[in-house]
Amino acid sequence: MHEEDTYQDLANLFAAEDRALEAKPFVDGVMGGIRRKALIRRLVIAGGGAAGAVIAAFQLPSLFGDWFTVDDTIVSAVASAQQQVGVLASVNPVWLLAAAVAGLSFAAVATLERA
Amino acid sequence: MRTDPDLAAEAVRGSEAAFAELVRRHQARVRGMARRLTGSESAGDDIAQATFLTAWQKLGTYAGGTFSAWLCTICWREFLQVRRKTRPEIEFDETAEVIPFERPTEKQDDRMDLSRALEKLTEAQRVCVVMCVAAGLTHREAAEATGWPLGTVKSHVLRGVEALRKHLAKPEVA
Repeated sequence: MHEEDTYQDLANLFAAEDRALEAKPFVDGVMGGIRRKALIRRLVIAGGGAAGAVIAAFQLPSLFGDWFTVDDTIVSAVASAQQQVGVLASVNPVWLLAAAVAGLSFAAVATLERA
Repeated sequence: MRTDPDLAAEAVRGSEAAFAELVRRHQARVRGMARRLTGSESAGDDIAQATFLTAWQKLGTYAGGTFSAWLCTICWREFLQVRRKTRPEIEFDETAEVIPFERPTEKQDDRMDLSRALEKLTEAQRVCVVMCVAAGLTHREAAEATGWPLGTVKSHVLRGVEALRKHLAKPEVA
């Protein structure tokens, strides 16, 4: 006889208590939490991707300028955006720090979360 | 009917429906365990919810074996985390004969005899009884989950069950 068999009567009492718990609201709560996390993860990845694309776009003229001609309108748009970012940073550099912290946090969340 | 490992494998591949089925199958056991460990329905359900969220994230680490034991191990760790946050000054002492964890005393009268009897056990006995008797883990699984020696778990279960029977047989006089 297994040692566990000596308390089967008590195990049945506990099991009867557990069976009375309503499953649906709990299951819905758990699955809702999982979906929320997945949504946040998708938004973070999309946001991070967009931010990365903007940063990459800023570097395009200097990267490829020497090898082939980038259209003037693109170069001027990027140069103007870079200028505006520089002005914004000189007015209040704290926003750059805030953006960096937010970016790192997003990256950490996106890395740790499961889809 | 699909087995737990089959559902877990599907959930690892991203199937929310498979994981929902696992939650449905095991929620009663995990909630019961968490409620009995904390002595509170709401705190227990919070821990149970955290258990399943952690299980979803760490499903890739499930390496077969009894799925419920794997879940109960996560539940035990979630309980310890909450316990450390709420009572950081108290280290868990599996030999303790007192009940150091602050347990709510409200609604005592509404509780079933079983829950009241459980409250009378030492914390270590209660943990072992909750895991082995209520949650259905084997002694070995409970020892692996808690990290306590197998002999210690067996001893706590034996004494806990004895005490539980004694308290159930002797109804309190109001």
